Amino acid sequence: MTSLSSAVALPSSCRGARPAGGRARLLVARAAASSPKLPSGRRLRVAVVGGGPAGGAAAEALAKGGVETVLIERKMDNCKPCGGAIPLCMVSEFDLPLDLVDRKVRKMKMISPSNVAVDIGRTLAPHEYIGMVRREVLDAYLRSRAQNAGAEVVNGLFLRYEAPKEPNGTYVVHYNHYDGSSNGKVGGEKRSLEVDAIVGADGANSRVAKEMGAGDYEYAIAFQERVKIPDAKMAYYEERAEMYVGDDVSPDFYGWVFPKCDHVAVGTGTVTHKADIKKFQAATRLRAKDKIEGGKIIRVEAHPIPEHPRPKRVSGRVTLVGDAAGYVTKCSGEGIYFAAKSGRMCAEAIVAGSANGTRMVEESDLRKYLAEFDRLYWPTYKVLDILQKVFYRSNAAREAFVEMCADDYVQKMTFDSYLYKRVVPGNPLDDIKLAVNTIGSLVRATALRREMEKVTL
Amino acid sequence: MAMATSTFSPRPASLRPLRAGAKPHLHLLPFPRFRAGRLERAAAAGEAPVEVAPPAGETEAEPAPAAASNGAAVKAVEAPAKATEAAAPPVPAFRDARWVNGTWDLSKFDKGGAVDWDAVIDAEARRRKWLEDYPEATNTEEAVVFDTSIIPWWAWMKRFHLPEAEKLNGRAAMVGFFMAYFVDSLTGVGLVDQMGNFFCKTLLFVAVAGVLLVRKNEDLHNLKKIIDETTFYDKQWQATWQDDTTGGPKN
Repeated sequence: MTSLSSAVALPSSCRGARPAGGRARLLVARAAASSPKLPSGRRLRVAVVGGGPAGGAAAEALAKGGVETVLIERKMDNCKPCGGAIPLCMVSEFDLPLDLVDRKVRKMKMISPSNVAVDIGRTLAPHEYIGMVRREVLDAYLRSRAQNAGAEVVNGLFLRYEAPKEPNGTYVVHYNHYDGSSNGKVGGEKRSLEVDAIVGADGANSRVAKEMGAGDYEYAIAFQERVKIPDAKMAYYEERAEMYVGDDVSPDFYGWVFPKCDHVAVGTGTVTHKADIKKFQAATRLRAKDKIEGGKIIRVEAHPIPEHPRPKRVSGRVTLVGDAAGYVTKCSGEGIYFAAKSGRMCAEAIVAGSANGTRMVEESDLRKYLAEFDRLYWPTYKVLDILQKVFYRSNAAREAFVEMCADDYVQKMTFDSYLYKRVVPGNPLDDIKLAVNTIGSLVRATALRREMEKVTL
Repeated sequence: MAMATSTFSPRPASLRPLRAGAKPHLHLLPFPRFRAGRLERAAAAGEAPVEVAPPAGETEAEPAPAAASNGAAVKAVEAPAKATEAAAPPVPAFRDARWVNGTWDLSKFDKGGAVDWDAVIDAEARRRKWLEDYPEATNTEEAVVFDTSIIPWWAWMKRFHLPEAEKLNGRAAMVGFFMAYFVDSLTGVGLVDQMGNFFCKTLLFVAVAGVLLVRKNEDLHNLKKIIDETTFYDKQWQATWQDDTTGGPKN
């Protein structure tokens, strides 16, 4: 894959002005020729399974495009355990109201295994920040927008689906419908739905993925405790989030303290040593001890985070988006933006391939969404993968990582790529200096590591 | 993920219990004072006085009351998950007379007018080893700001690169001499003529690369792993296109 050349040709994807209409016209010309018109002039019917950011964004874009959409969500007030950080481009691209953002984080503190602390965020402009949201608030908002656009939001648990019997037949989706009213059955009422395509947006433990045989992925366990700390200590976290790296905190991820609306979330994660997660959590609490002392734990939560996409992301007219597909970056573990964006892109591909809901879609239309998503974001994912491989290897590498973060150029590049999802090639001279400094930091840290092995305490 | 498990050091990420507080006294270095059992840092900024290593009896007595205070200090934060902390041993904080305000005070590393960089490297290695074995709470008043780049490049070079370079050059010379002799005895081609031959030049290149890259037995395995690693993530992303027989777009 010519990932390097595609990085250069990359449009700055986050400026939000990509003409979806222009692209749709091109695809319609191709679709109109091949796919059959729907019988009796009915509209295309799509089921979106899962009502998180991916499902909400997909349902909204589908409904706006004239497709008959049903969004199936099992728990309307679900508080998904999540770091809750969204980049700036998500706020602009998805027109999120600013009151959705509980906190604007403008300062991040990176803390190395030997407690070297580096503040990053010096290079941020006044209007730039990392938004911290509560998932229950964000998810509900996106679902309500989908509903306003014309999607039908159903409270139910997806059970399974039946593949169509003939090539242009319909899928039958079986789910448990939760009435919500006091005289509804406790376990929910079994219902079924005939649809032309299914979008699986049901998260890391996706049932749709299991049904379609998408395959498994490696996943990290993220464990988090929400701690209500006294106001005086909360002031420290007013605009600040912390990241702790070290073997004590996690062998392949990081520990964090993220501010939420009126409390902090203290957590950590790991892929390879899941059984030791409680030990890692204790170590994270120890490192932040003075700052969260006197706090009360109000909630303990854990959730899997995919490490890479599933082997199969589309099968027939069933496709996956968001965590279900495995679109979480390495190194930072960011998933909300990519979930919402992939949901929207998938929906746009369906709308285009069906000529605004008038024709049947095919697997090739869904593959167009995959190709577009891979093309747009592959450089971002690859760069973060390289960063993780290089800097999360060992304590020595983590020390070098934190040392590198003190550099202004690094901070600017990091925030630019995080906030706007663009991999902008900087000044080549600065890049060379950065490369030299990186190698220098790594070499020094490794040399110190060898000395450390000789030390007996 | 295979690479993460095999590169991860075998040591589990847990606090190593303090090995019977008496160990500090066997230490030959004068500076560290071990406050066995102290979890809270004292208002540390001005704390410079050198303390003589406490006698054995005193250290043994400390862990008991300290464990109680340790338990109380963290109780507020983790009422539901007490089980995990029940066996937490008292953790000594890192102390050094030359470590001031979160960095090494270079004036204390004076050696005949110039800074003794070797000692700075040693001290930092010790500090990192200490914190790796006994992780500490971070402190906002006393943030650690030490940056290894203040140690000049030639100090690193002299200490780490030169001995290694000497070793590798020695190996290359030994291999080179023996191979030149061996090839000469087999083919009769002298050293000057060998250098003119393309095949010999290739062998020379392979020998130099081998000496540089393969320094320990494990390196062969590590190199193979690194090559696999660089393309593994790409393969995972391409997986959805591998079974595509319907002729969808390929990147």
